[in-house]
Amino acid sequence: MTSLVEVTNMYFHYPRARIIAGEAAWTLEDISLSIQPKSTVGIVGESGSGKSTLVRVMCGLLRHQQGNVKFNGKDLSEFEGDGANDLRRENQIVFQNPRRSLDPRMTIRRSLSEPIRALHNRQPGDDEIIATIERVGLGREVLSRFPHQLSGGQLQRVGIARSLSVQPTILYADEPVSALDVSVQAQVLNLLMDLRDQLGLTLVMVSHDLGVVSRMCEEIVVMRHGRIAEAGRTDSVLARPDSNYTASLLKAARAASLERA
Amino acid sequence: MLQLRDVRVVIDGHEIIRIDELDLAPGSRLGLVGESGSGKTMTAKAIAGLLPDESKVSGSVIFEGQDLLTLNDREMSKVRGKRIGFVFQDPARSLNPMMRIGKQVSEAIRIHSDLKGDAVTAKVIDLLHQVQLPEPETLLRRYPHQLSGGQQQRVMIAAAIAADPDLLIADEPTTALDVTVQEEILRLLISLSEERKMSLMFVSHDLGVIRFVCDRVAVIYGGNIVESGRIEDVVAHPMHRYTAALLAANPGMPKDDNFSAFIGKRLQTITGSVPAVGKFPSGCRFRNRCLSATDACSTMPSPITTGNDHRYLCWNPGDRGQS
Repeated sequence: MTSLVEVTNMYFHYPRARIIAGEAAWTLEDISLSIQPKSTVGIVGESGSGKSTLVRVMCGLLRHQQGNVKFNGKDLSEFEGDGANDLRRENQIVFQNPRRSLDPRMTIRRSLSEPIRALHNRQPGDDEIIATIERVGLGREVLSRFPHQLSGGQLQRVGIARSLSVQPTILYADEPVSALDVSVQAQVLNLLMDLRDQLGLTLVMVSHDLGVVSRMCEEIVVMRHGRIAEAGRTDSVLARPDSNYTASLLKAARAASLERA
Repeated sequence: MLQLRDVRVVIDGHEIIRIDELDLAPGSRLGLVGESGSGKTMTAKAIAGLLPDESKVSGSVIFEGQDLLTLNDREMSKVRGKRIGFVFQDPARSLNPMMRIGKQVSEAIRIHSDLKGDAVTAKVIDLLHQVQLPEPETLLRRYPHQLSGGQQQRVMIAAAIAADPDLLIADEPTTALDVTVQEEILRLLISLSEERKMSLMFVSHDLGVIRFVCDRVAVIYGGNIVESGRIEDVVAHPMHRYTAALLAANPGMPKDDNFSAFIGKRLQTITGSVPAVGKFPSGCRFRNRCLSATDACSTMPSPITTGNDHRYLCWNPGDRGQS
């Protein structure tokens, strides 16, 4: 089976970051990983470990300086020009704070139509928009509303609906529930799992919550200081971590978590 | 040391808070848990006298023998910050970005004590030591943006304990932090409360965090304390259906490291969402979202108390439900 995303010996730094901090300052260093179609991968690590940057490089929002990143067997550099829209369509991101990622002056209907207009070059029909919003468990009445009229959980559903409106192959969710209450978190996590199963999506979850990742993802990538500390099947990595760092994350997570059967 | 009796907070004709009884013993740590909009932050603000001007408050908040609700603004400002300290969720927003760390902490000392000059600096350094910040002498010349989120929260805690308060109210103090930093800050709060015999009221939506820090918990919904008791009793045997639902929705970590059985497991959710202010049903506030609601629930149940002061307001009390 060919990998959907294949990253080999990839290095990345932000513009000017190396000039200020010196030659060795990579934000991501020597990253190699592959993501299989229809798999669910969790990327964990602390703030500043590079997990969000890695996601942005994998979906082509940031360009790496060394190594290779391939999507569907094709190097990301081959998606230049007209191909750029294909890459955007196939790779969608749901962000942490839905209130900040939706335009406050647009109705939900307009926010949902934008990606289709931009990436498919057509105006979506009403039926299509209604189907998109209902798929995430919201009613059509929210379409005429503005973001400030919705709750955090509803907005995150809109964010998910928006990403799915262009039928992506892979959905990146960057801390999609960390701004939400425990009870709303549960609804959004279940929704992501249901949609993944229904639509045959590949799902990449960025999270600092090991409980969430161990529940949702078969594969795990542990990031530290811009490098991969450890990666593999979630159950084996977490049951028997090789890296002391993974073990320390686990210890901290266990201390302040409930035990669930 | 802190006793709330028949506390009602009414804003714009809506009863936001109605707490008939809530106690915090000296040196103990109480968790206040609920969803956004359940009234947990409003309860903390009612104790602190920080409610908006238009709110009507009745009942009594007895703190060390004194009813805080009878105090005027000047009297209350001597209690707030001095005898009751506060730590909030987002340290980056609570610290003044234009002011050096030392100055922010020393402000808290100057306001509440007669210390001057070098004595103040010495006290700041001592406080930064107590919250386990490295190299306090250099740190006090730094600005907030030069510190990590965890370090900023330690500075907030240092300022909050500067006047040796008997009670510290911490409102979601670790929600914005990484898990390892969260654990460190939680351990710090526990050890400060033990060393200083300082009571802690810890507000959070996460029962996992509360179980780690607190010995008792009060579950709040629709401005009512629906259940309270020892944390171990409440987590093991939740009586109110809302408590059970909150527990079941918590992602948690797998028991006995059984990660393979955990994968793909859906979480229990709570039907619907927290109603807007004034839209809660009469009787039990949770009944329109409760799977076990009966006709009886349209009237408010009387509190039931069992062993270890485990208290709840539910007509159909029960264990964890389906989970």
